[in-house]
Amino acid sequence: MVSRWSFTKISTFFFSLVAAGIMVAMLVLLIVQSIPVWKHEGWSFLTGTKWFMRTHEFGAAPMILGTVLVSFTALLLAGPVGIGAAVFASEFLPARLRLAVKIIIELLAGVPAVVYGLLGVLFLRNWIYDLLTPFDPLSGDTLLTGAVLLAVMILPTVMTLADDALRSVPAAQRTAARGLGLNSTEVVLHVSLPQSARGLLAALLLGLGRALGEAIAVFLVVGRQDNQWPEKLLSINPLIESGQTITTKLASSETNIAYGDPIHWGAICGLALILMLMVAGITLASASLQFFSRSRHAS
Amino acid sequence: MKVHLFALLALIGTPLLSVQADTLKINGSTTVNLPAAEASEILRSEKKMDIQIDTQGGSAGGISMLGEGLVQIGMISKHVSDEERAKFPKVTFKEIQVGEDAVALIVSADVWEGGVKSITKQQAADIYEGKIKNWKQIGGPDKRIAFFNKEPGRGTWEVFVHWVYGSPKKAPQVSFPEVGGNEETRNKVASTKGALSQLSSSWADGKTVFALSIKTEDGKEISPANENIANRSYPLSRPLFLLTNGEPTGDTKTFVDFMLSDRGQDLVKKHGYLKLSELK
Repeated sequence: MVSRWSFTKISTFFFSLVAAGIMVAMLVLLIVQSIPVWKHEGWSFLTGTKWFMRTHEFGAAPMILGTVLVSFTALLLAGPVGIGAAVFASEFLPARLRLAVKIIIELLAGVPAVVYGLLGVLFLRNWIYDLLTPFDPLSGDTLLTGAVLLAVMILPTVMTLADDALRSVPAAQRTAARGLGLNSTEVVLHVSLPQSARGLLAALLLGLGRALGEAIAVFLVVGRQDNQWPEKLLSINPLIESGQTITTKLASSETNIAYGDPIHWGAICGLALILMLMVAGITLASASLQFFSRSRHAS
Repeated sequence: MKVHLFALLALIGTPLLSVQADTLKINGSTTVNLPAAEASEILRSEKKMDIQIDTQGGSAGGISMLGEGLVQIGMISKHVSDEERAKFPKVTFKEIQVGEDAVALIVSADVWEGGVKSITKQQAADIYEGKIKNWKQIGGPDKRIAFFNKEPGRGTWEVFVHWVYGSPKKAPQVSFPEVGGNEETRNKVASTKGALSQLSSSWADGKTVFALSIKTEDGKEISPANENIANRSYPLSRPLFLLTNGEPTGDTKTFVDFMLSDRGQDLVKKHGYLKLSELK
């Protein structure tokens, strides 16, 4: 059939172009606006550990570290639970029940971030404070508090995408495996999980992407303390102290102070640029994994 | 610069906003917000005014949003600095005082019950510079000091460093966990052991958080009570302003006039601040 330039086709083409255009415009805008700070700091904008706005010292390293620590810890906590729940729902629950469980979990994804944040302030903060008593924490605002809160927030994303990945493994393969005498646990371990590995990884990466970009909930419980570069990187210490992530810095009132000062404003836009590139990288990796996992089953 | 960003936002937002072109937009300090929000409520119902009131970024947010022309009234709990005026050369900032407030140094219950009831300026400076890290060093319980610093740009923070160092510019560079609005500050201090922070004194309830008195060099202890604020013996007092661009007109004038009227001033009083007639 010959393709026609129908109204639907033209308008969808137009709007996807607009969407892509906005994305590119944002990137260009952030690059242009952050030029002053790159001129001022050079690479030490990425590697510097001191951020003192009044003396124009802008080092983003502690915030990058905070972002990475918080989101990877969140993924470490939410990953096993999310994938475990997905395996249970997709492999062992009857279809109707599975749908019900899935809907309930997806509802969790619709809870506004600020609500999670307030719940975090009310319960999680104090719980972590008590839990950490042996380590003598200064307060309940720690990177760990932010990570636990984020873990709850990204759980629906991880679970529902992992469930989709598992369901995309053809039923014929399971039946064949059962026919060979494998029990249901063996089918999960030797057929479903390996077959959907790429999709599961994609689910984890998308969860990570969400954790990287989350601001308000973390803002309320992370303590927002600048210049927290740990003496020892590989220890639990940074996690049980207050810190700052890129998103909490961007959400703080400092963005209001930065107006009118090109270098300071550039530093804020530079942070936004770093964050955007991090999230874009993760999302692209996850999208390509999903793409290849689909084409593999199709072949 | 950021003008482009706002231009972009404006371009996207214009069709949505043009419907409510005559909305009176107000933003700024959470301290001033208490009486101002109640005044808005009254004006909405009595004069059918369309008012949007918010507290993004505290005083600094109020100043910059007024500077950018995003709001008609800023609420600020500090003076507009020369630097801030220089950032927005086209704007004529006009400060209209509507009341007076004090900043208190507040502590959590365990510190208060542990015997710390007052603090000297030197002790405050030493804590701020990290020389004093334990309450024991100033006669309190053996507990690390969990200092929650108000975000820079907050009126409360500026009053504090102005008292200790004479000017925000002279304050040393420090890194403490930061807190923003008044509710957040009170909540965090109340729920953390050994906590200390700066807070608008009318928010120090004496049940969950406690306001320290200031001990002067001659040994007098002055509490942030209203009479001490009024006669200026308590050193951390500050004016509360509505900020406009030039002389207020139209809806802006209606709002300012209401805040200065007897009813408006009663609202200032009701929320624990001093009204203009009480000042000496």
